[in-house]
Amino acid sequence: MIRGDLGQLVDALREPIRIFVRDARVRLALLINGSGQVLAQHGFSGAYDVASVASLAAATHASSRALADMTGARRWVYLHHTGRHRQLFLAPFATPAQELILVAIFDEDSSLGLVRLYFNEFEGRVATLPELGTVRTGTSAEDFERELEAGLRHILPPEWLEEG
Amino acid sequence: MSNDLARAVDRLSRIPGVRGALVADAAAGVPVVESVADGVAGPAVVALAASLYRCAAAASENAGLGAMGPVQVDAGAGHVIIIGAGDLLLVIVAEKGAQLGLLLLEAQRVAEALP
Repeated sequence: MIRGDLGQLVDALREPIRIFVRDARVRLALLINGSGQVLAQHGFSGAYDVASVASLAAATHASSRALADMTGARRWVYLHHTGRHRQLFLAPFATPAQELILVAIFDEDSSLGLVRLYFNEFEGRVATLPELGTVRTGTSAEDFERELEAGLRHILPPEWLEEG
Repeated sequence: MSNDLARAVDRLSRIPGVRGALVADAAAGVPVVESVADGVAGPAVVALAASLYRCAAAASENAGLGAMGPVQVDAGAGHVIIIGAGDLLLVIVAEKGAQLGLLLLEAQRVAEALP
């Protein structure tokens, strides 16, 4: 994602993420790209949480993909972790521009089945956004930090960033 | 255990008018064993049925009505029946013309026999 078109994409993603959160009844949702760049979020209360979860989710995705390659599984569909009170759902999906990753955290008000169901709808809705219609070249290592910061600046209230 | 569940699903899916019989994990809302006809989206039906059952159970509890019986959804072209069985749910999709009395009786027998 280049910083010039990020604002338009962030605006376009607001409605799909709102619908997903409403229908799947998740507490927290975060949409990132493979670099950990934040494209949309719901429910987070501070920049530190968003940046941490984005980085960890991108790393989890990268390591899971590497593991899938090594084992011949080629790709993984989603990761689900059940905690005592909350559950984590992490799933990659393809768009014409690049692969994106959705992270959702939910509790007993939802279920894995509901989250999977509405993730499929979310995936379809996002993949057809015109703002994601351009095929993108790979991310270089030097772009990583710049993209992460650009994403946070578009998504989060300025006061959150000042706190950090 | 999976053989028992498969037998339960098989028994229900043989009843005339049944288009889908599914045993689901009630908390996760995902199918454990299913037998569904074309056009029945099993995972989606189970996810939504489990959510509906949970809401209905909460309503029943808050209304002081006690334990839940079967939940029956009547739609234009058929019915969805949801029966709780411990950590499992039995979800049945039936055509409009299905014999609901027989179906409910059989489904409750199957639910009581689930492990």
